[in-house]
Amino acid sequence: MTFRTRLLLIFTVAVVASVALVEWLATDSARQAFERLETQRVDGLVAQFRKEFAQRGREIVRAVNGIAASEAAVNIAIAADYSPYYNEAASLASAHGLDLLELVAGDGTIVSSAEWPARFGYKQDWLAEPADWESRGAFLRREELPDGVALSLVAVGTASAGGRQLYVAGGQQLDREFLSSLVLPEGMRLLLYRNLEPGFSPAELVGGRVEDVARVRPLIEQVQQRKRAIARTLGSGAGAETFHALPLTGYQDDLLGVLLISSSRRELVELESVLRRTGMGVAAASILLGIALSWWATARVTRPVQQLARSAARVAAGDWGTTVEAPSADEIGQLARAFNRMTRELVAQRERLVRAERVAAWRELARRLAHELKNPLFPLQITVENMQRARERYPEQFDEVFREGSTTLLAELAKLKQIVASFSDFARMPAPEMQPVSFNELVSETLKLFEAQFARARVRAEAALDAHLGPVQADPDQMTRVLRNLILNAIDAMPEGGTLTVRTVALESGVRLEVSDTGQGLTPEESSRLFTPYYTTKTHGTGLGLAIVQSVVSDHHGRIAVESAPGKGTTFRIELG
Amino acid sequence: MRLMSSTWFAACRGGRRCLALAALAATAAAATRPHYGGTLRVEIRQTFETPDPPTAGYGMPDLARAFAITHWEAGRRAVYAADENAPGGRPFLDTVEIEMARALRDQSIDLELGKTDVAEVGPSELRRQPARRKLWGSAPVRLVALVFSPRVGDARVREALALAVDRAAIHNVLLQRQGEVSAALLPQWLSGYAFLFPAAADAARARTLVMGLPPAVRAISLGVEDVAERPVAERIALNARDAGLAVSVVPRAAGADVRLVEVRIGSLDPAVALAGIAASLGLPEPTQAGSPEALYVAERALLEGFRVIPLFHLPDVYGVNPRVKGGPGIAPLGEWHFENLWVEGGRP
Repeated sequence: MTFRTRLLLIFTVAVVASVALVEWLATDSARQAFERLETQRVDGLVAQFRKEFAQRGREIVRAVNGIAASEAAVNIAIAADYSPYYNEAASLASAHGLDLLELVAGDGTIVSSAEWPARFGYKQDWLAEPADWESRGAFLRREELPDGVALSLVAVGTASAGGRQLYVAGGQQLDREFLSSLVLPEGMRLLLYRNLEPGFSPAELVGGRVEDVARVRPLIEQVQQRKRAIARTLGSGAGAETFHALPLTGYQDDLLGVLLISSSRRELVELESVLRRTGMGVAAASILLGIALSWWATARVTRPVQQLARSAARVAAGDWGTTVEAPSADEIGQLARAFNRMTRELVAQRERLVRAERVAAWRELARRLAHELKNPLFPLQITVENMQRARERYPEQFDEVFREGSTTLLAELAKLKQIVASFSDFARMPAPEMQPVSFNELVSETLKLFEAQFARARVRAEAALDAHLGPVQADPDQMTRVLRNLILNAIDAMPEGGTLTVRTVALESGVRLEVSDTGQGLTPEESSRLFTPYYTTKTHGTGLGLAIVQSVVSDHHGRIAVESAPGKGTTFRIELG
Repeated sequence: MRLMSSTWFAACRGGRRCLALAALAATAAAATRPHYGGTLRVEIRQTFETPDPPTAGYGMPDLARAFAITHWEAGRRAVYAADENAPGGRPFLDTVEIEMARALRDQSIDLELGKTDVAEVGPSELRRQPARRKLWGSAPVRLVALVFSPRVGDARVREALALAVDRAAIHNVLLQRQGEVSAALLPQWLSGYAFLFPAAADAARARTLVMGLPPAVRAISLGVEDVAERPVAERIALNARDAGLAVSVVPRAAGADVRLVEVRIGSLDPAVALAGIAASLGLPEPTQAGSPEALYVAERALLEGFRVIPLFHLPDVYGVNPRVKGGPGIAPLGEWHFENLWVEGGRP
């Protein structure tokens, strides 16, 4: 992964993380705000319900007390016979806006019942029990009606006259009409469960929808068990609602109803959805923008670095004159300027080194030429001087001396010619003509050519050839010359005799050729200069043999290495292919 | 008249005051004296949807003795005119106008406002009548009873309902003590043995009877067509509930498991009356009875099995406008005798 990519990834991750964090914070803040708002709304509704409940209670108490204080109630209370009044409650209830009204004698006998006229003469023992009805106000009560039971808000008034009492128990049903009289904020619903039957009865849920029954049943059952307020969120998605269940108890603290205040979470879900969509849009835009900015920033940062890397690669490839732009004054600019100074210095040093090496090479060449030419020249000079001396002093022996001298001269001239030819060959190294070459055969044939020399030099030659080695593309003449040079070099390295080992090893797509001797070995300094033209550790030779070997190997795109240590022999290792 | 005359003479010693008293005395004498003319306005609950006026039964058919029908609107109105050739002589009234299908409460209001001269008075209106209001009442001639449909086959259910009904409470409150509580078909005044049929409620025994019955058997419908009788039906349903029966009151008698019916005594002869009641209620014809004991046995046999549960015997009660004189206008069995009535002031 490139530096730019890494930098881009870091920037992108940072942008995405920042946007996600902002999105989460915004959503969470909105949710908390909504929850607070909903809590306020529910509290307000509960307070409104309680206020309405209290108001209704006061109205009922006022109506009941009005009836109890009326002349009609007093007349009934003192009547010797209640039968003429059995239908009185209905008209009184209607006149005072009450759903329920019962006129009950002091012994608890119903004189008249508005909600159930047929119940005259029946007992309402709870009214006859000692109680301070005046201070109790309105309270919830389970009322039996001809068609079932009802939850009602009732109050009890008392009419007393002539030592006789008449209880006036009246009230209103808590039903759908009562719920509809409450003003609800948008998104809120009010349901009432009348806990008038044992267990849960779907028919007792007032104000709800059909699907509410199964939904709120567990909540109502929990309130029935615990008799305390419970809040739960029911459903999921936009259809979810938070229900606050409030227990409604009667005057004997018996659970008579459960008020369910429902607050739809649709607004929250929609708000969250809007926030999410907006957040995703902003996030996407931010991420794209972030990526673009990151791309620009990383490009700005990494472009000089990349230029430096490319320039360094060119320098490594030999283009030492490479320079980079250094437009900025920051660290990157300083680095670029340092790089440019370095390459300029390298070029200068290389030129100096080339010049020095060229001078050294000329000197070495001159020394080698002087040395090589001096050896034949001295016999030439002696021979010519002998021939002059014989002509002057021994004319009778001049012919014989001349023959011997001319032979010597020709021989030395031949040596000079050979020296000149060697230099000429090195100067005119031809390009290799590549063809499949069996190196095993090439090694075997070459070793045969040197059998006589091996014998003279007391060198034992060994060939370790890889049977799996196949033909390798190479110039057979040049590779023969390479092998011959290395063999000659090895024979020279073992003046006291020894063992020469030539080894071939099949590579994946080529060959490794090793020529090892058991000679005296080389020092590291000698090893490092071994392939330098005209360099030799021997007293004879031109110093071009290994230089030619390296040149041929290089022309074959191969590699040559030497492994040697003083006293441990030397191994030349060539790899082709 | 003589008393009034002596009073008049005793008071007539003061000039102009004496003259005024003399005028009042003359007017009173004219009011109490029968005279011809005038229209008697009558309102009834009953309605006759027949094309012609009824000729049998009680009420309007009774007018045929002295009046002749002159106008007939089925179900709404009838006008009878005095028959000049009536066997008993021409009645005092010129005409009798009858409004049918008038609710008891409306009749009571019309009577109060002077829009009618004779109106039926139901139990709930009875206590509202002014103290000076003249009332005509018959003997208890209307039998109110529960009649079971043949499909209520379990006698325990029928007996339980008979035991559950608190007749006394209904009689005291809803009927305002009109008539009498009875568990017999014939009223006490006619048979003399009605008290032998127990009428007291026994809710505990009723509960015992229905305790083991399945809910479907215990659920019965009580049909009542007359709105005025609905409170009685509601109370019966409440009593039945206490006994473990689920009685629902329905407005149509047809198809109900049990009906609240009213049957009229048609004869002063107990045996004939019993036979008439049995025929009206769909009971078997009672055996011929030559003595009260035999009649008791016959009636008891009719009530075996609780197919019919007698509840009350109620009288016909009419409120009468003070301008109506003569009478009373109804006989003990409730027949109309308007031929002897006259009205003050003639035509209103």
